[in-house]
Amino acid sequence: MKKNVVHEILFYLVVIFISLMVLFPFLWMLSSSFKTQTDIIAWPPKLLFTPTLQNYEKVFGEQDFLKYFINSTVVGGLAVGLSLVLGLPAAYSISRFTQRRLALFILLARLMPGISFLMPWYIIFSRLDLMDTYVALVLSHMLIALPIVVWIMSAYFNSIPVELEESAMVDGATRQYAFWAIILPMSGPGIITSVTLSFIFSWNNFMFSQVLSMEKTKTLPIAVYNFVSYAEVDWGGVMAAAVAIMAPAIVLTMIFQKFVVKGLTMGAVKG
Amino acid sequence: MKKMLTSVVVLLSSLCLSAGAYAQTKEIRVLLANHPYGELLKSQIPEFEKQSGIKVNFESLQESQLTTKLTTEFATKSSSVDVFMTRPLQEGKMFNKNGWYEPLAKYDFSDYPKTVMGVAQAGGAPYLVPLVTEWQVLYYRKDLFKAAGLEVPKTFAELEAAAKKLNSDAVAGIASRGKGAAAVTQLSSYVYNYGGAYIDKGVAVFDKPAAIDAIRYYGKILGSYGPKGVTSMSWENIMPLFQAGKVAMWTDASVFYGQVVDPAKTQIPAADVGIANLPAGPKASSPFIVTSWGIAVANQSKNKEAALKFLDWASSKDLAIKGMLSNITMARTSVWKDPKVVAAVNPGLVATRDHAAEFGNPLDRPYMSAVGEARDQIGELIIESINTKGESAKLPEMAKAKAARVDELLKDAGEYGKP
Amino acid sequence: MRQPSFVERHLRVIFPLPAILFIALLMIFPIFYTLALSFTNWNLTSGMPMSFVGLRNFFRVFAEPRFHDAVWRTLSFTFLAVFFEAVLGTAIALILNRAFIGKGLAKLLLLLPLVATPVAVGIVFNLFYDPTIGLANWALSSLGLPQGLWVSDATSVLPSLVIVDVWQWTPMITLIVLAGLAGLSEEPFEAARVDGATPWQVLRHVTIPMVMPVILTAVILRLIDALKTFDIIFAMTGGGPGYASETLNIMGFKYSFEYFRMGQASVILIALFFFVLLCSLGIMKLRSSSEN
Repeated sequence: MKKNVVHEILFYLVVIFISLMVLFPFLWMLSSSFKTQTDIIAWPPKLLFTPTLQNYEKVFGEQDFLKYFINSTVVGGLAVGLSLVLGLPAAYSISRFTQRRLALFILLARLMPGISFLMPWYIIFSRLDLMDTYVALVLSHMLIALPIVVWIMSAYFNSIPVELEESAMVDGATRQYAFWAIILPMSGPGIITSVTLSFIFSWNNFMFSQVLSMEKTKTLPIAVYNFVSYAEVDWGGVMAAAVAIMAPAIVLTMIFQKFVVKGLTMGAVKG
Repeated sequence: MKKMLTSVVVLLSSLCLSAGAYAQTKEIRVLLANHPYGELLKSQIPEFEKQSGIKVNFESLQESQLTTKLTTEFATKSSSVDVFMTRPLQEGKMFNKNGWYEPLAKYDFSDYPKTVMGVAQAGGAPYLVPLVTEWQVLYYRKDLFKAAGLEVPKTFAELEAAAKKLNSDAVAGIASRGKGAAAVTQLSSYVYNYGGAYIDKGVAVFDKPAAIDAIRYYGKILGSYGPKGVTSMSWENIMPLFQAGKVAMWTDASVFYGQVVDPAKTQIPAADVGIANLPAGPKASSPFIVTSWGIAVANQSKNKEAALKFLDWASSKDLAIKGMLSNITMARTSVWKDPKVVAAVNPGLVATRDHAAEFGNPLDRPYMSAVGEARDQIGELIIESINTKGESAKLPEMAKAKAARVDELLKDAGEYGKP
Repeated sequence: MRQPSFVERHLRVIFPLPAILFIALLMIFPIFYTLALSFTNWNLTSGMPMSFVGLRNFFRVFAEPRFHDAVWRTLSFTFLAVFFEAVLGTAIALILNRAFIGKGLAKLLLLLPLVATPVAVGIVFNLFYDPTIGLANWALSSLGLPQGLWVSDATSVLPSLVIVDVWQWTPMITLIVLAGLAGLSEEPFEAARVDGATPWQVLRHVTIPMVMPVILTAVILRLIDALKTFDIIFAMTGGGPGYASETLNIMGFKYSFEYFRMGQASVILIALFFFVLLCSLGIMKLRSSSEN
């Protein structure tokens, strides 16, 4: 009995240690975002300090973060929306007609290093005068979102029994109608999973936006990276910006925790 | 489903439209840099629009993004840029060679010193208007010097001695950029003071003894008395250290003076911050003094008349005075004598500029088309030297290989052997 | 029964067609474009017209020491990061694989690094690693250990970056393995217990072999992404000091968007693509053999 208690205490200590390791950079970022520049560069690092909101005021006041926030939302939203339009039928087709080669083809987009299509895009978008437009950004972010949608949704459709459509088709419905009226309404959880995940990945994307967006369509990750302006490093501001950019993804994750876990793990466990 | 698709298509095409909605008469597109002068122009543009009736569509970009954007837009012949801020030493040579600058034959350049005009023209034909000048200075802590009983160093030997004496666990004796390519501009004055150069008559010469000595010296003082991790530091890392009182001396460009004495950003009283000439080397006292920013009209602009009007306004004396009053060191000579400016500007800034204008060197980096890659090559030498405190045995050999590489780049661009 | 319409008969083509066209347009076409560029001397800064140069770019890039270093660095970064992630991730999953108070919270915490914006993570770690004001050196010195230079030094930069990657992605392996463990059937465990196996023996001979396919799949996913790591390296070091953390991805980026040497950049990108392809094929082979 006693041995068990020791064992239990040890176990919880390990769990707490793991949690702290995971949490620690977030705590460090959060606390630094409330410090003045003087407190941040103090040595030894200050654990107790008078919190200030000046960094957040700077980020949202002077830095026009709201605009970048809107850009990120618009780009992510459109990219995910359009990926659903293209990806849902494709996923259905892969699932029902077991098109493995098609699945691999779409997976290729996940495999390829983004930079190898970035350079051609850059040249082509420049020629078409599409640089720094939502069109270029949304198209590029769709290449992130589409494989996620197809990957998750084809697995999801696999879990829906074929008999459902078949009975509708026996009753005279077309297959596309059955997909639209029967399968899609049942796919809520899968759609939520793929939307959440692909939106988060689009939200976090740096490379595509760094090259394809400039002032007008700049997204949050670029804004954070560019926070180092011509003549100063404002650590507090940078940390506040980092908090601002991570917060929405973290909130989304908290709301849709189950779906996110499923999306991240399903491919590995089932495939 | 169909409805959804249609609405998406409509949405997308409306986005395209709004992106391409400009190109009316009397409208120009201007690209500005994220630089204090760019900010100043931005704030004054409504004024310009009112008096000229020209609508200005401007964007401001971080400096390297600006170069990238201009290069691709011009190279793919897709540009609608009319006027842009430009860095003569970084991209000037390449842009001019490719014919991307509109010649400025009619502009009155009499207010600009000869040293400044060197990088604004080719064969006597000017193509950009210089805006901002920068030169290298030594920032130092008066209080620490006093406590240590030191005089402001006048020579490299004295600089080294002072760095040694001031160096402690809490305060680095001296700082200067060590981050490879970013350090190349700051090393340049050291090279000149040792009698060397990066490129001479279109040939890379930074493997010659004079330059090697300078690189060794730079590596020795930074490796021995520099802040921890100096090989990954550019100005943006060093300035906060100086502001926090963790650095006794700092050699860098004059533009940072405003920030190091700004009480909102620094922990040391402004009275304790000194500014002096970069100490003299064995051969010369020739700090760089460069035109860091200029402004130009794009050759393919379809609104040249309006573009030139904007250029005249943006480079006018009135705006230059406004720039001076907000701590931007402008290229026009006359504004330095303006009474309002004389009353406001720091005398140390004036004195170091006078020295640099008389004895300085108008280049701070290899002046060539492939400057980015050349800087990376020289940057490697700097890091090697700092890591070995200037003692590296393989430095000459490395330098030879790097110089050969830069020669290759010059040849690729057809600039080899041309002055 | 009613006659199926044209659309219905060709649904297997019509349904995926838009997605296929999209990917072909945005991915396949650019790949061929890159391939074509790799045989030209196109350089935006030279102002000279593009011309065909055969295999010259390949010879030039493959002979370049900087390229060899980048290849080696890419592989060692990937190997180190994925190795530690797999070991730590599996270990943590095995520890957490039981009922306990706060399990839901612990799983939520594990998700956070996965959704944190990598660029921002990089910047936060930069402040953490800062040799003069960072917490990392403070921690070392208060433990009485010598301080480090972390990302500021050529010898320590790669391990420091690996730490960031391990922090961010170990939870991914943990979550996948946890899901895998949850799906195992009870029988082999009971059989082992009946045979009087120690917990250690059960772990070694029953649990681990049974979740191995899942672990390997997680490793493939990580491997592909680790080879392509860009954001944290770009944000934290930009490939420096010198070229000390320049991976193929960063080198390709520099050649394309800083040097504008489109021809040689294409060669680097093609090389990177082949590494990604080779590694994933290799591991897939390994996985199918471990399943048999």
